[in-house]
Amino acid sequence: MGIYDDVVEVTRRTMVLFFVVDTSGSMNGAKIGTVNSAIEEIVPELKEISEENADAQIKIASLSFSTGAKWINEPISAENFRWNYLSANGVTDLGKAFAELNDKLSRNAYMGDIAGSFAPVIFLMSDGEPTDNYMDNLEELRKNNWFKKAIKVAVAIGKDANKRVLAEFTGCDEAVISVHTPDALRKWIQFVSVTASQIGSRSANAGTINTKGGTSLTGGKINLTKQDEFIREIKAQEAADAAEWDSFDDDGIEW
Amino acid sequence: MKEFQHGEKIKTASGNTVEIIEKLGEGGQGIVYKVKYGEEEFALKWYFGKKLHDIESFYSNIENNIKQGSLSEIFLWPLELTEKRDGSFGYLMKLRPKNYKDFSQFLLAKVHFEDISALINAAVSIIKGFRALHNRGYSYQDLNDGNFFADPKTGDVLICDNDNVSPYGENLGIIGKCRYMAPEVVTGSKAPDCHTDRFSLAVILYMLLFLNHPLEGKRTMCPCLTEELERKYYGTEPVFVWDPYDDSNRPVRGVHVNEIRLWKLYPDFVRKAFEKAFSAELLTGADTEHRIIEKEWLEIFTALRDITVKHSCGSDTFYNADSENCVCINCGQEIAKPMILNVPKHKVVLAKGTKLYTCHTDGNSENDEITAEVVASINDSAVLGLKNCGENEWTAQLPNGVTRTFTKGQTVKLGKGIKIDFGKVKAEIE
Ligand SMILES: Nc1ncnc2c1ncn2[C@@H]1O[C@H](COP(=O)(O)OP(=O)(O)OP(=O)(O)O)[C@@H](O)[C@H]1O
Ligand SMILES: [Zn+2]
Repeated sequence: MGIYDDVVEVTRRTMVLFFVVDTSGSMNGAKIGTVNSAIEEIVPELKEISEENADAQIKIASLSFSTGAKWINEPISAENFRWNYLSANGVTDLGKAFAELNDKLSRNAYMGDIAGSFAPVIFLMSDGEPTDNYMDNLEELRKNNWFKKAIKVAVAIGKDANKRVLAEFTGCDEAVISVHTPDALRKWIQFVSVTASQIGSRSANAGTINTKGGTSLTGGKINLTKQDEFIREIKAQEAADAAEWDSFDDDGIEW
Repeated sequence: MKEFQHGEKIKTASGNTVEIIEKLGEGGQGIVYKVKYGEEEFALKWYFGKKLHDIESFYSNIENNIKQGSLSEIFLWPLELTEKRDGSFGYLMKLRPKNYKDFSQFLLAKVHFEDISALINAAVSIIKGFRALHNRGYSYQDLNDGNFFADPKTGDVLICDNDNVSPYGENLGIIGKCRYMAPEVVTGSKAPDCHTDRFSLAVILYMLLFLNHPLEGKRTMCPCLTEELERKYYGTEPVFVWDPYDDSNRPVRGVHVNEIRLWKLYPDFVRKAFEKAFSAELLTGADTEHRIIEKEWLEIFTALRDITVKHSCGSDTFYNADSENCVCINCGQEIAKPMILNVPKHKVVLAKGTKLYTCHTDGNSENDEITAEVVASINDSAVLGLKNCGENEWTAQLPNGVTRTFTKGQTVKLGKGIKIDFGKVKAEIE
């Protein structure tokens, strides 16, 4: 009992994780099913990361696009978030999704938390080719300061996914991950959600790492940004996967 | 990397075997397991090998730290290395008991210290741990809210992640979080060392007491805290929220709630210490190598402990011996003037449960064993006595002029005007 009885939690910033999901007709069936169950499963872990994190709380927003784009939910704290299953039909209006993002990535819309926010994580999942003229909207989105600072990542599902477009969105090839099996899709959705949230919701890296061991401050030092760090994580995971690849028993699931 | 499964066996560097019991948790650098080693249980930290920039120097640093041996009880120090295996390795340490909670849980107001005495004990333990480290020429380098645990009842503290600890001048290429790293590390102009540890220590102490960050206020309330802005707020242009010469970063009502309420409840000398620790001079000025050292923090927190008493409302409060009328920080009622023990350099408020340490009775702050405790009479709880818990014989001059000696276990009845000679130090009750 005493003066600490009514302390409130330390002032935390907010970090919004945006799920942007392709729900066009081609996603119908196992693909959208896997997306749904993978995100559903990973929510408790995101909740835990948020609850234990004194730097920032995590909020989750979700946007789907097919014929047009539609917000499934505005940012909700991970503690209260529940994934609603999406179904898939229609065309692939990726440009509409970009326009929606641009609209809501604003202090007056989704990014208005009083204590401020860290740059968001924007996680795009798609299996196809945009059917609208996405380029103009992407140009606009790229001018958005929240977007510029965001950790951007995309999962390209199956062989028909247009990886070039996705790389235009993320800003680099390394942040586009190709998956070809339901297993890989689930694993990568969960890996990306967790890792990007962890990195995104933490105070920025301070200090430099020596790229070549040693104890000297000079030589080979780099300043690791969050996007860099995230890409390193992706690469490390890909390398680990590749190591397991030899023993992989491919039973012929192909998309 | 595959996780170890229950029952899996791993060889230690010395050729013994440990057996995995279960996974305890996972962090940025690796996974921690509970393991069986002989008849005892330990924690095994197993690294993600790919994440270590230089596995050899990391391994040999831990090897050296093991040889050196733990510098203080407070550290969950590496005890033994494992063999290298699958491009990685691990080390064994003691298990953290369940009653210890993550510091972040305190910051998130999910756990509270039982009283201010426990909180002060936590601060003192952390300071002492760092003092032990620095006195031996080591630095911790990456102190943040994720590295330590405290028992909310007692304030006992454990510090983990001692794998980065290294001798002065050496550096493993540690990356910390801006919020906890010294400005010169944030800007990249310096590698972490004991001077930067002292900045992190001040941040941790501030957050322990005030549950907000000392550099986050009006100025840092931007909608999007980009990495560039973090480098500015914590690196190139940090401003303490209570800087007496610069009010540009004051806490904001409704946002930085805790520190606004708690700051003014602490005695002046505590606030002055933080004002100094986060002054422009010690933050980014010419004097970043002369930050407040552990010994000084220890004196400040000892003084705070000396004036902490339980008020009749049930809460701990501070008694300011120099002020005319002193009110309880919890209920606002005036506090009746308690008895005060005057020794050189210290004024200790005497109430049931108050403890004296070697710093009070021997004039020596090196080891602070308890040497005396205030106890209440069994017949009348209003009658207080000072019990000798140390090895020295005391000579007390009672108000009636009689002089008597008190040895270990014996109790002097307390009253104003009594003089006690503890051997090396003379005290008077006021
Ligand atoms: N000695 C221990 N006894 C019990 N649990 C422990 C012990 N050491 C660490 N843990 C738990 O294991 C988990 C990961 O540990 P730790 O924080 O050391 O990992 P890390 O890789 O250093 O993480 P980071 O550097 O990201 O903070 C945490 O949940 C922690 O509470
Ligand atoms: Zn009171």
